[in-house]
Amino acid sequence: MATAVHLDGITKRFPGVVANDDVDLAVRRGTVHALLGENGAGKTTLMNVLYGLYEPTDGQVYVGGEPRRFDSPRDAIDAGVGMIHQHFMLVDPMTVTENVTLGNEPRKWLGLTVDEERARREVVDLRDRYGFDVDPDARIEEVGVGVQQRVEILKALYRGAEVLILDEPTAVLTPQEVDDLFAVFEELTAQGKTIIFITHKLGEAMHAADEITVLRDGRNVGTVPADEVTREELAEMMVGREVLRTVEKPPADRGERVLAVDGVSVDDDRGVEAVSDVSFSVRAGEVFGIAGVDGNGQSELIEAVTGLRDPTAGRIVYRGEDVTDWSRRRRIEARMSYVPEDRHERGLVMDFDLTQNGILGSQHSDEFACDGRLDWDAARDHAETIIEEYDVRPPNRRAAAASFSGGNQQKFIVGREFERDPALVVATHPTRGVDIGSTEFIHDRLLALRSSGVAVLLVSSNLEEVRGLSDRLAVVHDGEIMDVVDPESATEEEIGLLMAGEDPSDGSGPVAAGATNEGGR
Amino acid sequence: MSGDDRSGGARRRGRAALERLVRASAAERVFISTAALVLSMAVGVVIVLAAGRMTTCGEAAAVYFGVGFCYDPFAVYDSLFLGALGNPINPLFRPLEGQFAPPFRRGWSPLNGQMAVTLRETTILVFTGLSVAVAFRAGIFNIGTQGQLVVGALATALAALYASPLVAGLVGTLVLIPFGLLVGALSGGLYGAIPGALKAYADANEVITTIMLNFVATGVALYLVAGPFKDPASAANETVSLPGYAIFPPVVFEPRDDFSVLALLFGVALVGGVYYLLEHTAFGYDIRTSGIQPEAAEYGGVDAERTVVSSMAISGALGGLGGAVYVLMIIGNYQTGIPAYGFDGITVSILAGNNPLGVGFAAFLFGVLKSGSIVVDVNTGAPPQLVGVLRGLIILFVAMPEFFRLLGRRVVAIEPERPVATDGGRPGDGGDDAGAEAGGEVDE
Ligand SMILES: Nc1ncnc2c1ncn2[C@@H]1O[C@H](COP(=O)(O)OP(=O)(O)OP(=O)(O)O)[C@@H](O)[C@H]1O
Ligand SMILES: [Mg+2]
Repeated sequence: MATAVHLDGITKRFPGVVANDDVDLAVRRGTVHALLGENGAGKTTLMNVLYGLYEPTDGQVYVGGEPRRFDSPRDAIDAGVGMIHQHFMLVDPMTVTENVTLGNEPRKWLGLTVDEERARREVVDLRDRYGFDVDPDARIEEVGVGVQQRVEILKALYRGAEVLILDEPTAVLTPQEVDDLFAVFEELTAQGKTIIFITHKLGEAMHAADEITVLRDGRNVGTVPADEVTREELAEMMVGREVLRTVEKPPADRGERVLAVDGVSVDDDRGVEAVSDVSFSVRAGEVFGIAGVDGNGQSELIEAVTGLRDPTAGRIVYRGEDVTDWSRRRRIEARMSYVPEDRHERGLVMDFDLTQNGILGSQHSDEFACDGRLDWDAARDHAETIIEEYDVRPPNRRAAAASFSGGNQQKFIVGREFERDPALVVATHPTRGVDIGSTEFIHDRLLALRSSGVAVLLVSSNLEEVRGLSDRLAVVHDGEIMDVVDPESATEEEIGLLMAGEDPSDGSGPVAAGATNEGGR
Repeated sequence: MSGDDRSGGARRRGRAALERLVRASAAERVFISTAALVLSMAVGVVIVLAAGRMTTCGEAAAVYFGVGFCYDPFAVYDSLFLGALGNPINPLFRPLEGQFAPPFRRGWSPLNGQMAVTLRETTILVFTGLSVAVAFRAGIFNIGTQGQLVVGALATALAALYASPLVAGLVGTLVLIPFGLLVGALSGGLYGAIPGALKAYADANEVITTIMLNFVATGVALYLVAGPFKDPASAANETVSLPGYAIFPPVVFEPRDDFSVLALLFGVALVGGVYYLLEHTAFGYDIRTSGIQPEAAEYGGVDAERTVVSSMAISGALGGLGGAVYVLMIIGNYQTGIPAYGFDGITVSILAGNNPLGVGFAAFLFGVLKSGSIVVDVNTGAPPQLVGVLRGLIILFVAMPEFFRLLGRRVVAIEPERPVATDGGRPGDGGDDAGAEAGGEVDE
């Protein structure tokens, strides 16, 4: 079979870092290729070279057998290479059709106006050809993450992509959506398209890919057929040692109520109610999980708890005090830690180095500031501690946050928030984009905090993660808590139904006795 | 095809150059600025020669390659730069020709009158440059330094005037000058806090409000000094002059130079102070964080509204101090028609990359150019307009790399950010940030 993409001896150097070191990679047309590797292994960089965002220091890119040199993504798209970033580039108030054709709209009347009928027809044709379940007239803001991702794929296909690159596409999806995405992969490859995707989940790579390439320290350590390799072999290739996967969770030793959310409603940015009358509470020494498809009010709820958004109704009680009107700073000072959902906008100041980022949120605390004067020596030591403890690579506290790989940025944020000596940790997607080894480490730390009597409020769209870590699990749908279940006894199907907004109450509900909503009413 | 290649190559080189500029180290930036200065002078030489050919004059000022020119560019630049320092160089000192006479002209002292002019301008520009820089670092484009300076000047002139009868002599100086500076800082600070509050609590764009407040300041000041506070003995619109003991003592310079080393030292101390504030205090951390990433600042517990108001108040206070020093050191009362120090402060700040330490140097360069222009006017036949062109060239060339750095930060910072954003970030928020930022406005 013909080679769709051939990367020949690609080297990409950044000042002080070799992100890709003489990487060869060949992907056959009509196959799915998975890219695995630890955080900072160079996966994203390699794909950015292929997509024309970076110019390789050395080496040659071949697409369809021809040597190519891309100056920008535009050139890559013209050559049939499309990339779907996890951070979707869609315009919310516009329809699916408008988004798909944006920038390449068919025109009429001498190009004076958009031929909307033709645009819609073309999008419908494209959709039907690949069997996508997408309404061309729906607005982006109305559809879920999974659909948005499909719109991104349609957009690339509309521009003539033959090769599709997806960077960690499954990180934001629910298991059901992941299955749908893989079905889309099959349809696409059946029609001769080529897919390269990055993932941290070995199971997904083995299930969906034809071939798997593992990167380590910027080098290609091997390309293997997906059906001839075991998880253990892959893990060994990635980290060079065996990876055990056991979350040891001792029974919860619950203490007093640390957080009580009482009848809280919150509006989203557009002023539409995103959270409606939600109540729950979290006790010291337990992990309270919130599961749900992204965009069902979790972000708004969490922002209300952490002080970044004002609720329109209800009370938030923290350690016995009504903190509804407290500023964000006061909540931080009251030992509330927060691993934010959006690491690029909120969690890190991208232009600051890690020393400066390490004190974000503590810049007024006694630890780093005395009479308003910053103690940079303490800040340096602190950054170094986080870097070492949480294995941030490269271990350079002077490098700007923007220069770190996604997973390493995440590890640094998690480290900063966990090391704050918190009474409550609010963690949203704490391991999103983090490799297996570090995920395990973060889970261990989270459970260690729990054992030491910290209350943990955990939000994740990764069902396996919330089920594994939570003592009680609230499932949210459309701004409401559908139910609070015992994650051990509730089945994945039951939780899935709740997430979809359906009540699986055919008599024997999944609601476990000890796990009912003991909210702060 | 080949045309495509060429344009692609140009784009790649353009982007690479921009990236290089953004990542330049401090030493490299000094080198770039120096190179830009030399380059601007090379271009200036050509312009002066061309202008000299196109003018008719009785006697050629210079003859190069057998062609006469009305203006001698070397004499012009000599007067512009060295004239501003009081012509320190001994004409017999020509090391290139093997003549090692003493380098400094006999009788030259660094404490000469022209040097005083240079340093006097430098002093005021240090204040206004710092004023703009502080706001800029907080992500606020304060065009209102001029208005804050006017308010500070007027308030100082009046307050010192009414307080002056209460004290006299050395005690008067010791009391009135700090008092005048305090009044200038407070009034300028309050005047700066207004657009700050409007931005923080009413979402009003600071560029618009500060420009409008500049007009308000000048207009109200004119009304006051033309009416209620007018010096009855004067035909001009000005207040009664302050007594001599309310004026900055000249220390090592002549009193007629209207310059005091003390004021300059105060400015230099503020350069250090502002640097310290930004880099070594928690409040400075808040300012810088809100300036480059407001969402992260909010996450880090920074009160966005308060930071906007207080950084604008500090910016205004620095502008007001500039006005106070202008009154207490240079004119001795308030007169209408205050020079545009506030607007020059914007250029000074950009020249300095909004770095307080750089403001000191940029203000000095500005001071040299301003003072040197006068020397050129007196010493050579070159018309002031031509000198204005040369000054503009120098500023343009030196500021351009910094300006491109400011712009480039937005372009280059986004490139690595986008790929990184692919495996993190909040999904499905419409990708508005990358797009909007690439749009590249400098405001807010
Ligand atoms: N713009 C940049 N400037 C400097 N170094 C960079 C830049 N981008 C990436 N790097 C470095 O290159 C290496 C590879 O980064 P890359 O983002 O490709 O990793 P990754 O495999 O995608 O990791 P992750 O799984 O965490 O997303 C890292 O060490 C990172 O610090
Ligand atoms: Mg990555």
